[in-house]
Amino acid sequence: MNRRSFLWGLAGLVSISGSRLEETWAAAAAQSSSPGFRLVDVTQKAGIQFQHNSGAYGGKLLPETLGSGCAFLDYDNDGWQDILLINGMDWPGHKRQHSTLRLYRNNRNGTFSDVTRQAGLDLEMYGMGVAVGDYNNDGYPDILISCVGQNRLFKNTGKGTFIDVTRASGLAGRQAFSTSALWFDFDRDGLLDLFVCNYVKWSPDHDVFCSLDGKHKSYCTPEAYRGETCWLFHNRGNGRFEDVTASSGIFDSSSKSLGVALLDKDGWPDLVVANDTQPNKLYRNLHNGTFKDVAMEAGIAFSAEGKARAGMGIDTADFDNSGVSGVAITNFDNEMIGLYRPGSNGSYEDIATRAGMGFPSRNTLGFGCVFFDPDLDGTQDLMVANGHIDETVRNIRGNVGYAQPPQLFLNNGNGTFRDVASELGDDFRQPKVGRGLAYADFDRDGDLDVLMTTNNGPAFLYRNDQLSGNHSIRFRLVGTKSNRDAIGAVVRIFHEGSSQPRVVKGGSSYLSQSELPVTFGVGKRDKIDRVVIQWPTGRTEEFKNLQAGRAYDCVESKGINPLSSF
Amino acid sequence: MLRSLTPGRSPTPALILGLIITLAAVVAYSWYITLQISGLRALQNDLAGRNRKDSLQLLRIQNDLNSLALGMRDMLDNDEPYPLTAWSAQFQRIRADLDDALRLEEQVSVTHRTPEQRQFLGTSLAQFWDAVDRMFAFAQAGKADEARAQIRLTLQARQAALSTAVARLLVQNNESEEQAAQRIGEIYDRVQRQVYVFLVAILTAILLTSLYLIRSNRQLFARLAALSEQRSELAQKLISTQESTLRYISRELHDEFGQILTAIGSMLSRAGNHAPEGSPLRSELREVCEIAQSTLDNVRTLSQALHPVMLDESGLESTLDWYIPTVERQTGVSISYEKSGTPFPVDGSAGIHIYRVVQEALNNVTRHSGAREAWVRLRFLTDVLEIEVEDHGSGFANPQSKPGIGLVAMRERAELLGGTMEFSQPSSGGTLVRLVIPKERAESSAG
Repeated sequence: MNRRSFLWGLAGLVSISGSRLEETWAAAAAQSSSPGFRLVDVTQKAGIQFQHNSGAYGGKLLPETLGSGCAFLDYDNDGWQDILLINGMDWPGHKRQHSTLRLYRNNRNGTFSDVTRQAGLDLEMYGMGVAVGDYNNDGYPDILISCVGQNRLFKNTGKGTFIDVTRASGLAGRQAFSTSALWFDFDRDGLLDLFVCNYVKWSPDHDVFCSLDGKHKSYCTPEAYRGETCWLFHNRGNGRFEDVTASSGIFDSSSKSLGVALLDKDGWPDLVVANDTQPNKLYRNLHNGTFKDVAMEAGIAFSAEGKARAGMGIDTADFDNSGVSGVAITNFDNEMIGLYRPGSNGSYEDIATRAGMGFPSRNTLGFGCVFFDPDLDGTQDLMVANGHIDETVRNIRGNVGYAQPPQLFLNNGNGTFRDVASELGDDFRQPKVGRGLAYADFDRDGDLDVLMTTNNGPAFLYRNDQLSGNHSIRFRLVGTKSNRDAIGAVVRIFHEGSSQPRVVKGGSSYLSQSELPVTFGVGKRDKIDRVVIQWPTGRTEEFKNLQAGRAYDCVESKGINPLSSF
Repeated sequence: MLRSLTPGRSPTPALILGLIITLAAVVAYSWYITLQISGLRALQNDLAGRNRKDSLQLLRIQNDLNSLALGMRDMLDNDEPYPLTAWSAQFQRIRADLDDALRLEEQVSVTHRTPEQRQFLGTSLAQFWDAVDRMFAFAQAGKADEARAQIRLTLQARQAALSTAVARLLVQNNESEEQAAQRIGEIYDRVQRQVYVFLVAILTAILLTSLYLIRSNRQLFARLAALSEQRSELAQKLISTQESTLRYISRELHDEFGQILTAIGSMLSRAGNHAPEGSPLRSELREVCEIAQSTLDNVRTLSQALHPVMLDESGLESTLDWYIPTVERQTGVSISYEKSGTPFPVDGSAGIHIYRVVQEALNNVTRHSGAREAWVRLRFLTDVLEIEVEDHGSGFANPQSKPGIGLVAMRERAELLGGTMEFSQPSSGGTLVRLVIPKERAESSAG
């Protein structure tokens, strides 16, 4: 080959692959940049001393592997996010310790105080998940604890204590293996209704003997048990709830549900439910108090191969700022994460592999997952808590461990993600048997910190330390005509021709709930052009020229009030 | 003796033919493999792939039917706090999924089904959903017992029949997959066999080509050796002819013209004596006599140069004793002549060749080397006679010196005597010419 033909060939190669090279360079450039923040383990420093008790004594009872959840909530309404950690308990006949959930009050200086006893929550129950919502609109968040057995509803008295109103609210007398739950106002009457996921029909008396080696008992897969319908309770406004599971079309006795999240498309809240070995569900709100499961038509029910996967955690977000929310569902190991992006025809497409999330999640068992913007760059990233259910999994699948590192898929802004967990500090990347996952700005420095629970292990509080100098703007919404927590409200900010939406969400992740205030990363900008709030009742409000670097209190129909800081 | 040699055939056409055959074999084999892979791909995509997709859809249908069975069981168990109508949405969802799965299954199905089979599935499903609608109608009307009876008596049986039908289709698919796997296996076997055939053919082609190349090379080398021998014989004939011719001329000059000139000189001398003392005739006769004597000397010198008679009469050693000082005198080059060893007689035929080598070597020294000094060494060793001519001149590196016929002739003469001729460069530069001849060949006639 002479020099001329070589150069022509080279020129041809460059012209053919020019666009691909640009993409490659862009991806390489994105990958070469640092995440821009670190997650520092401040659990001990903050005074969080929690140990989850699964009750495991060797009986290998199914619920032992799944718990438990956590929540950020401002239970005393002081503007500082407190922490609630759900706990299990010893099984009857195998009593060894007294274990309860833990409520930690934020001391406003980076530390927390255990106020469980003072709050009246020092009660034993086999807790799984938590949903926080002000169901009686009194200004103080109430707590629903989903349990193995009877779920518990605790009403916040507003005086730093809670009282158990399970019976009074009409939720008593329902034994089940409940998992995730969320508060939302499905009929837009200004009252939060309650959705509860149930896993399978299980009780200690009807536990099935499963074995991997034929001799020793092991944890069963859900196929061994019958499914259990999710529940929908309508808030009647008088402190009582009405079971509308059947009349609303939610009923499905084949469900084996673990995670639930809100999905807004038309101002009426829909629900997406992650099911284990059963098709996922997308309950479309028909605006008349009923729902229709359209998961199959929407393409969310199954994997791309048409297989029902073992869905665990779930979250929704407009991760590509396209104006419509997508869905992420964590699955069992050997089943990659499902990342569903909405298409133009209302259906969803699983783009996990194309987005760079598929292969890194093949050998992990994901539970909690949250979309948020920890690097404050204006795009939502996905964090996943991983951990297997079987301590001996390494013997069977050499490349899969029981404890697994969490993952943070940073949004490259071009439709792809990259896992940067190993770059966030040694604390964060340590393998754990992760389960619950939630975020909040507990230190009010404008960025989002992370709370993670582990099965039969400690909880971890990670403080977000920004390194990039990115700014944020936060909004705390208070509904007046809408539910007071404004769950279901859509907040959309506009700056320099671009926009970002956030939904005030209950539930999501896995057995957990993040804070209700919404946080937007705005990069290096000092202000935003405007914010548009679409309240759950349908009312829309707009505010212009807001300074970034602070939080705003927005009261429905009463304007916006800037705070001096976050 | 010259051997007659017929010109051999060139191996190139045969090699090109072999190459063409090999390339054709490779192309044919590649085509065959491509064909087989295409067939394999078609089989895997069209049959195995579609079969897999079809099985997935059938499993989905089976799963839906199982879900229906579980739903009906839950309805019969009556342990939910909900009316039977609560299952309606669940059944509708499963129905939608079932319809979708059946539609997709119909598209990807590869197993040939009879119209009866298709009709049975469609009819059974229609009947099942009719019964479901009736059951929910009873439930809607508050007739839960009738609805449950409908489940027990009709729906469960129909569900079981449908499930069996789908299971049968799955079995058919499995059999179809096995057949496909068998066909794929046959293709692999065929390809494997062809690989062996191809390998054997290629190895045979390589072997035959190699044998042919070896044979061709041998023939080429034999021809080369024969030609070399012919050339050597020719050169030696030429040298012998040259030497005999020169010897003849030399003798003729020495004997015939020498006698004549000697006689002329005697006669002129006698004639001069008869002429009066001091007369012009006497002086002219003396002058002619001197010219004749000079001519006689020149003829004798030429005779010596063409073939030293001394060589035949006194031997090599004496000839060199005479020749080297003569060269030294004629050229002005200082020549150190050394002799060593016990002299043995050298045959005249061998001597002329040795003499010619020394003559040519000294000619090269005087003409080309630019050296003003040379060394000639004659060694009578036990088995060989060794002669060296050395100078410290420009040597073979002299760019102006062209390789002449002299060196070739020297080598031929050495070969004629069964000896060796070496040309080398001494450490001090210049040229060292060494002729080594076996003693027995030096003593006997070289022919």
